[in-house]
Amino acid sequence: MYEFLTGPMFWLSLGTCFIGITVRFVLYFKGLNWQLERVAYKAYPAQGLKGALNSILNWLIPFGTCGWRKQPFMTLIFFGFHIGAVLVPLFLLAHNIFLKEKIGISLITLHPVIADILSWSVIVCAFLLVLRRISLPEVRILTTAYDYFILLLSVAPFVTGLIARYEIGNYSFWLTTHIICGEALLIAVPFTKLSHIALFFASRAQLGMDYAIKRGGMKGKGMAW
Amino acid sequence: MPEGKLCNRKPIETEEELKTLLSDTGGKKYYEEMKSLDVDSGLLWKTIGNTLKSRTKTWLEICAHCGMCADSCFLYLANDCDPKQVPAYKIQSTLGEIVKRKGQVDNEFMHMVMETAWAKCTCCNRCGMYCPHGIDMGVMFSYLRGLCYQQGFVPWELKIGAGMHRVYRAQMDVTDEDFVETFKWMVEENEEDYPGLEVPIDKEGADILYTVNAREVKHYPEDLAEAAILFHLAGENWTVTSTGWEQTSLAMFAGDWAACKMQVESVYEAMERLKPKRMIGTECGHAHRATVVEGPYWAGRSNGKPPVESIHYVEWLAEALREGKLKIDPAKRIKKKVTLQDSCNYVRNHGLKDITREIMSYIVDPGYFIELSPNREHNYCCGGGGGFNGIGLFRPQRNKGLITKRDQIIESGAELVIAPCHNCWDAIRDLEEEYKIGIKWSFLKPIIISMVEIPEHLKPEE
Amino acid sequence: MFKKILFATSATEASDHAARVAFNMAQAYDASICIFHVLGVPTRGFSQIVMDVKTKEKVEIDDEYIAWVKEEIKVYYSKQLEKAKSYNINYDIKVAVGFPHREILREARNYSPDLIVLGGSTGDDEDSVYKKSMVGSTLQRVAKAAPCPLLVVNRPAASFWGGISQIVFGTDFSKASDAAFKFSVNLAKDLDCELHIFHALDISNMHMGRLLTQDEIESQIRESLRRIRGRYIGELKEIKDYSFDVWEGLPYVEIVKYAREKHADLIVMAHHTQKTSNEDARLGSNIEQVIVRAGCPVISINK
Repeated sequence: MYEFLTGPMFWLSLGTCFIGITVRFVLYFKGLNWQLERVAYKAYPAQGLKGALNSILNWLIPFGTCGWRKQPFMTLIFFGFHIGAVLVPLFLLAHNIFLKEKIGISLITLHPVIADILSWSVIVCAFLLVLRRISLPEVRILTTAYDYFILLLSVAPFVTGLIARYEIGNYSFWLTTHIICGEALLIAVPFTKLSHIALFFASRAQLGMDYAIKRGGMKGKGMAW
Repeated sequence: MPEGKLCNRKPIETEEELKTLLSDTGGKKYYEEMKSLDVDSGLLWKTIGNTLKSRTKTWLEICAHCGMCADSCFLYLANDCDPKQVPAYKIQSTLGEIVKRKGQVDNEFMHMVMETAWAKCTCCNRCGMYCPHGIDMGVMFSYLRGLCYQQGFVPWELKIGAGMHRVYRAQMDVTDEDFVETFKWMVEENEEDYPGLEVPIDKEGADILYTVNAREVKHYPEDLAEAAILFHLAGENWTVTSTGWEQTSLAMFAGDWAACKMQVESVYEAMERLKPKRMIGTECGHAHRATVVEGPYWAGRSNGKPPVESIHYVEWLAEALREGKLKIDPAKRIKKKVTLQDSCNYVRNHGLKDITREIMSYIVDPGYFIELSPNREHNYCCGGGGGFNGIGLFRPQRNKGLITKRDQIIESGAELVIAPCHNCWDAIRDLEEEYKIGIKWSFLKPIIISMVEIPEHLKPEE
Repeated sequence: MFKKILFATSATEASDHAARVAFNMAQAYDASICIFHVLGVPTRGFSQIVMDVKTKEKVEIDDEYIAWVKEEIKVYYSKQLEKAKSYNINYDIKVAVGFPHREILREARNYSPDLIVLGGSTGDDEDSVYKKSMVGSTLQRVAKAAPCPLLVVNRPAASFWGGISQIVFGTDFSKASDAAFKFSVNLAKDLDCELHIFHALDISNMHMGRLLTQDEIESQIRESLRRIRGRYIGELKEIKDYSFDVWEGLPYVEIVKYAREKHADLIVMAHHTQKTSNEDARLGSNIEQVIVRAGCPVISINK
């Protein structure tokens, strides 16, 4: 089982994820149409690029935009969730040892304490995100079972990972579950809302270009996000 | 009944059709017919297939349902934070649902869509600035309006408005002759006070081609006179065109993209015929958006620009004041608390946020100008944008929608609101009529005329 | 002298005095009369809804509504119209939608009347629909831009028109006053009546608050009398009876007093204020004050 999961299944899920999101990313930009969206992308590449980067970077900085500053609680739990969700899978020591064995390379690694904190932060913030969904009427009305499913899918590897890390109960069971959850997540990325891992950048870039090229980016000081 | 006599999927093409629809007072019969108008699901789905591409598809798909857009929406705030006014909900429950059902929606559903598209969104695009994913729901609603229009589910006034553009190339029944005649009349009425005042018609190669809003011609031609006077005093070499003078586009509010193209092409033809150095439009927000910002795309211009450089009236005014073409008498500057309404259509959607403030610095005595909060590209819609002002059916919703702006103005303590935009001006007037908060409102032109110094050589003989 | 009269009316009591004058004039001059009513002020952006000036309700204008309003006006003026018919006077009823001053001016340009008779406003209350969204009153705006003489009857007392035998022409020696003078002379000739030329020396604010000595006042009065003689008297050859006077004081008060003393049936004055005054002074200029206060009709001439 373990062999299968860390062997073919590992390659399959990683491949699906990478190829999938690459395809989606490429298709997104191929699907842009200057006349339908009414943005002359090609006529102003420099301004477009600048606007796209601005639009992405500002939103990657906690409290970097009016939108973030307006909702500090959401900003905290959002970044609390996403920073861990991005850093831990990539830079966890255990993951990198596995990578080194598998393909002979490894990335920089997180200090275990930091990794623990980040993982806990993901779980706590995910819990708070759920609470927010339930308690705020403006979020409740939007929420569907699918949203909970996505959240569950994203947080499951962390929960199982932590259980395995603290060796509660049957270690190998939890490790296997952790791997299954992780691989399920990877496979789900291109086919679900999780595609926002890549499409967030695409969508932000598009709106950034829209504002930079058409909606006044070339007048005055540009956009204050 | 598949299609009604008045309410159907065909756009208005002739004056006669227009008159027939107009004679249906208040759209009574029109809306009655709408109740049994069939949805052409095949056409709907085909259109979506052709026009709903990766950007919009992605927007609909990756919306995280986080609700961060909620309080960016002035209608959500004005309606006591009704969750049904959350922008993401509004678009997901309409366009999102149509896409999900592959266009298989019924009449009742389309009624709900129509109300959402025109009475719960003014396409002010503010929510797009507050979505982490950069999902601009205003843009999607504008797209949705196009689908509604195609299916015949469009408010009566806007079906007429789009028809006006198709028939008269103007938002109201104002012909080219009416336009030229009214402009001449206004010059005659004022030439005694301003000797040498004239309106050059169809002059080739002028520095400025001036375009207007048909409502000025129809109901307040003083605005035309004021424009002429200010160009005259500034010593500008300007002209107007006898055809293609209408800058606005109710077709844009209606989602009648074909009419949008017709309308804007008439203006571009005038530009190409008269070859002015620049085109300047009147103090209107959506007119600028239609002709300068979106228009080039309807007309298929791949550089996204009109044939000649086109600027908004406030840009010209700021320039004239900056360069001293127009001089303000410092003693006559505004000495009461005054604020400025940022028009979504050329501030959030065309970056002209600082230029209007530059004008304020010239015409308001220091210390009297107050900002609304929030302001600039973060300002709220006046409450009447996107056609909302003119739709009788959705009047109660519109009046409710004014509350956000009302509270913003009250909070600022301003006595005068300068609104260099027809829609904002209307909305703020209606707001005073509805809620009586004791404010005045004005365009820029009359204010400038009341304080501009008349150069010695242009003064009337006594 | 008056072949076509444009009578702009609110078709309410406020216009009754003006109506009396308008119909009497039409009869006296055998003129055709156009009864013109602005029935609604646009209030809904680009939409078709207007606010009815009488009911203050929001209504949608269609042919039926217009026909109904026309019928209402016909009924309201039925007595006058019957009488007009018996005198073979041509009349026409027209209604329009828009801002009243603008539509009256538009119709004046269209119809090119020899005289506009302006009815009273719908009232001074703040809610008056006519005042919506426009700075300055209908009267001010029409007076400023009218292409022909404008006759205004404000007080009921001013409307008991029994023919004209005494005309008061108030002058401030401006160019526009010259035009008003010509009109007064022609009218006096035409009606064979007495003309009184009057100038009021404004001692209220012309010297920046400094009190004038009586000697200064009297020397200025002499100067003004000299100007009247030089400028106007030469043209009065065909006028049987005339007089002229200069009084000092607050001009509009003096004019009204003078007219009362002369039993004037009509005051003629020039309207040449540069700008429509703003909300702070709704009736700013002298002529507007005279119109409000005079005990007889006032004709305003701007060019």
